[in-house]
Formats: sequence, structure tokens, C-alpha cells
Amino acid sequence: MGRPLIRRSAMPGLGLSMGITLTLLSLVVLLPIGALLAKGASYGAAGIWETVNRPRVWAALFLSFRLALAAALFNLVFGLVLAWVLARYRFVGRRLLDAAVDLPFALPTAVAGIALTALYAPNGAFGQVAARLGWQIAYTQWGIFIALVFVGLPFVARSVQPVIEEIDREIEEASASLGATRLHTLRRVILPILTPAALTGFALSLARGVGEYGSVIFIAGNIPRLTEIAPLLIVIQLEEFNYDAAAAIGIAMLVISLAMLLSINLIQIWSRRSLQDV
Amino acid sequence: MSDIPAFHHRSPTTEAPALQWALTGIAVLGLALLVLAPLVAVFAEALADGAGAALRSLANPDARAAIRLTLTIAAISVPLNAVFGIAAAWFITRFDFRGKALLITLIDLPFSVSPVVAGLCIVLMFGSNSLVGGWLVAQGAPVVFALPGIVLATLFVTFPFVARELIPVMIEQGRSEEEAALTLGASGWRVFRTVTLPNIRWALMYGVLLCNARAMGEFGAVAVVSGKIRGQTATMPITIEMLYQEYLSVAAFSLAVVLALLALVTLLLKAGLERRHADQLAATHRP
Repeated sequence: MGRPLIRRSAMPGLGLSMGITLTLLSLVVLLPIGALLAKGASYGAAGIWETVNRPRVWAALFLSFRLALAAALFNLVFGLVLAWVLARYRFVGRRLLDAAVDLPFALPTAVAGIALTALYAPNGAFGQVAARLGWQIAYTQWGIFIALVFVGLPFVARSVQPVIEEIDREIEEASASLGATRLHTLRRVILPILTPAALTGFALSLARGVGEYGSVIFIAGNIPRLTEIAPLLIVIQLEEFNYDAAAAIGIAMLVISLAMLLSINLIQIWSRRSLQDV
Repeated sequence: MSDIPAFHHRSPTTEAPALQWALTGIAVLGLALLVLAPLVAVFAEALADGAGAALRSLANPDARAAIRLTLTIAAISVPLNAVFGIAAAWFITRFDFRGKALLITLIDLPFSVSPVVAGLCIVLMFGSNSLVGGWLVAQGAPVVFALPGIVLATLFVTFPFVARELIPVMIEQGRSEEEAALTLGASGWRVFRTVTLPNIRWALMYGVLLCNARAMGEFGAVAVVSGKIRGQTATMPITIEMLYQEYLSVAAFSLAVVLALLALVTLLLKAGLERRHADQLAATHRP
């Protein structure tokens, strides 16, 4: 308790910068989230549980989480490949490829949503090919998976790429000179260095996928208990002025994303620690 | 094997050529199918009935009202976000106080909240049946289903953009330059304008660029608070949804082309900033 709340400093602008920061943070983020929690508190734990426990709500929450996890796993592997290729290899069109990785961040989700639907619908360019193989993508869970892969694609690649660029080549030479094969070096030397950044990207991709709405609703088909995602259920409840139920689902989603954030932070601390032990 | 390694690999620190080809192929093909194909589809669908039809649909009053509204929202929320980002970065990097880690976590919080939940929070805070919202409606200044609500939703989802870009850059630059200027008698504002701002301008621009792209394209949070009143509270993304639901494909995709072009310009400027000022950006420069 010896440390003062704010240490005296000759720097100007303490009052102004603190005032702007705390006012806007409260007005834009904290008070609205507080309103959600207050709504939940007045509805009560039993009420929230009753809402979340409805088969349709449970199915939507489980679907959002499961497909976000699958998409994040896909992006973990593909993102590592992308980052490696972009950081290490030189080929024609590399710069274009590098810029294309960020497109899902820049392209509005509604635009991505209708574009993916146009491509993967049974009469779309990719949908037709899939249909001939007896595989329907749009308006099934596959469509949701594709949309979540799209929006989460840059996270792992962009977290890992700068780390690869900073790896000291000497450790790879050392590993090779000690007789390790290239694959062995990649697995035992490189991969552990990339793990914390890869996990960060994985977590961001997962969190994004669980809450994603715009890119998904067009391609999902939105059939209750089958292809209906959790954020859509909130929108439906709000349209019916069912604020209690909307708040209950919102709180469930908030808890899921905060729990994910926390567990990933713990995994990261653990992986950094085990890296230092090596 | 280990007797003649140079024979098998050109260098001990690169992969075999076949593996290099395979990995590059996966990367190129994957990005082409997953990312570039949807972009091409936006343009192809918009031009399905020719360029004339696409342009005519953009001249529609509702489409033009949507473009105006989206520009208005960006013009309000992006500068506010920049002011917040600068203030937060200054407060966090130039002063020592307890709870700094908590403050940074709270600023980052909107990135892990679903946009729909963000919109829900604003409806519950400022909606007409809430305490604050009811009072505001009685004063004739409704927030939800009106411009202020859309701005608040946009601010929520873009909240960390500028701040998280500036904080690492300002931590790395340290306080010594500003302290020197203060010792020499410069006023606080002068120090900020002549010492801090030149050091952070590219990072600031980078954050503003990303913030603007998200502000103009936000869908989920805005969908919840806008009420989707045609010509009044329907932003470009919302109008795209409404047109698409009405099977007006060319009109929907024509408006989508405008947003796709915005995305492409954003990427171009971003790549330019990253190439020219890599050492002054947090995204490309990890100390």
C-alpha cells in the first residue's frame, strides 16, 4: 500500500488525458456493459439459466462455439503455413499475397457474407462444383465454417509472421550442425518459439468466431437448432422486445469469451515459462 | 546421411525444394480460394447486368442516403476515437499509477465482445425502456434507433484501434525527449505538438486508417441499434443486407463494391505505411 495511487510527475496533461480516457471508456464501454449485467441481475440467475437451458439457445451457443473452434484450428495450421511462406520464401506475387492476408480485416463483414453466399450457394461458382459431388455448403454448417475461416484467417498469420522474421538463423544452423534433420529442427526448435504468438492468434480467431454475426447470417440458412448462431438469437429476441432473454444470452456469450480469454492467457503464461526452462 | 549433408540440401537452414513448392502452393491456392475469390465475386455479381445497372442502383435515393449516413458516422466516430487513443496513450505511457494493467485490459475488452452483444449493451443502457434512455426520449433526443446510438455502437467496436497502436510506440520512445522540452520551458501543448506528435504521427495514421475501415463497415453492432429505417438509420452495410433480403442482388452488390473499394484503398495505404514507416509502427516493429 506504500505506492501512491498516481505518482507525482512533471509531465503535463494528467487531468486532461485521464479525464478523456475515463469518461469515454465509461460512457462507451463500461456503462453499457454494466447495463447488460444489471439487466441480468434483475432477471436473476435462475432466469438466465432457464433461458440458456432452452434447447434452441443451448444448440445455438454450442454451434457458435464448436464451429468457431473448428475454424480457429484450421486457421492455426493454415496461418502457420502462410506466415512461414511469406516470411521465408521469395517468389513472384509475394507482396500481393502478403496484402491479401489482411483483406478479411478490411472487408466489411456484410460484404464478405453476401460474397461467400454468392460463391457457395448451390448455383454459385463453387457451390455448383460441390453440388456435383453431392456436397451442399451454403445454408449448412459448412457454410458457417467457411465464413468463420474467412473472418479469422489473418489472426494467426499476422501474430506469427514477425516472430519468424526475427528468429536468429544461427540457432537453426546450430541445430543442423548437431545432426538434426530439417523437419526435426522445425518441430523441436522453431515451433516452440512460435507457440506463444500462434496461441495468441488462435485465441483472437476463436473469440472473433464465437461472436461473429455479419459474415455468417447470409450463408448460414438460420434454421433453429441446426444452423442458427448465438448472436442471431440475441437479434431475434430483441426484435420481439424480449430484453430479458436477449440479456441472458448476451451474458452467456460474455462469460464464454471472458473464460476463453482467461484460459488462453494462462496457457500462454505456461508456454512462455516452459520455453524459458529449455 | 549426415556424412554428406551438403549433397541433399542446398543449405541446412532451408527446406527441401519440394517442400518449399508444396507450402507455397498451399498458401497461394488457399488465399486465392478463401480470400480473393469472394472479392472477385463482389465485382462479378455487381456487374451481372452490366455497369449501367450497377451505377443506376447507386444513384437510388436510399443508396445515396446510406452512403451519406456511413460517411457522417465515420466523420464523428473516427476523430473521437483518435482523441481517445491519444489521451489514453498519453495517460498510460506518461504517468505511473496503480491499475494500469487493468485499464489496458478494459480498453482492449471490446475486441473480445461480440458486436451483437455490444449493440445489445447500448440498447439496454440507452433504449427507451431504460432509465437513461427514457429520460433522453422525453427530452426529444433518442439514442437508440437514431444517429447517436449508431455512433456509440461504432465507437464501442472500434474503441481499442488507435490506443493499442499508440501505446507500444510511446512506451518505446520513452519520456526523455518530452522531459527535455519541458525543462527548456516549452508548454504542455507545445511539447505535444512539436515533440510527441511528430514521433507518433504514422502510428496514429495507421490506427485511424484501420479504425475508419471498421467504422464504415460495421454491421453486427449497428444492426442491433439502428432500427433499419430506410433513408434515415440504414448505413451502407445495413442497406446491403436489406437489398439482399429483397433479392435485389445487383443493387446489394453495387453498394458492396463501394465498400470493397474502400477496403482495397485501406489495404493499399496500410501496405504503404508499413513499407515506408515500419520502424515507427507497432504492428510491424516489435522491440
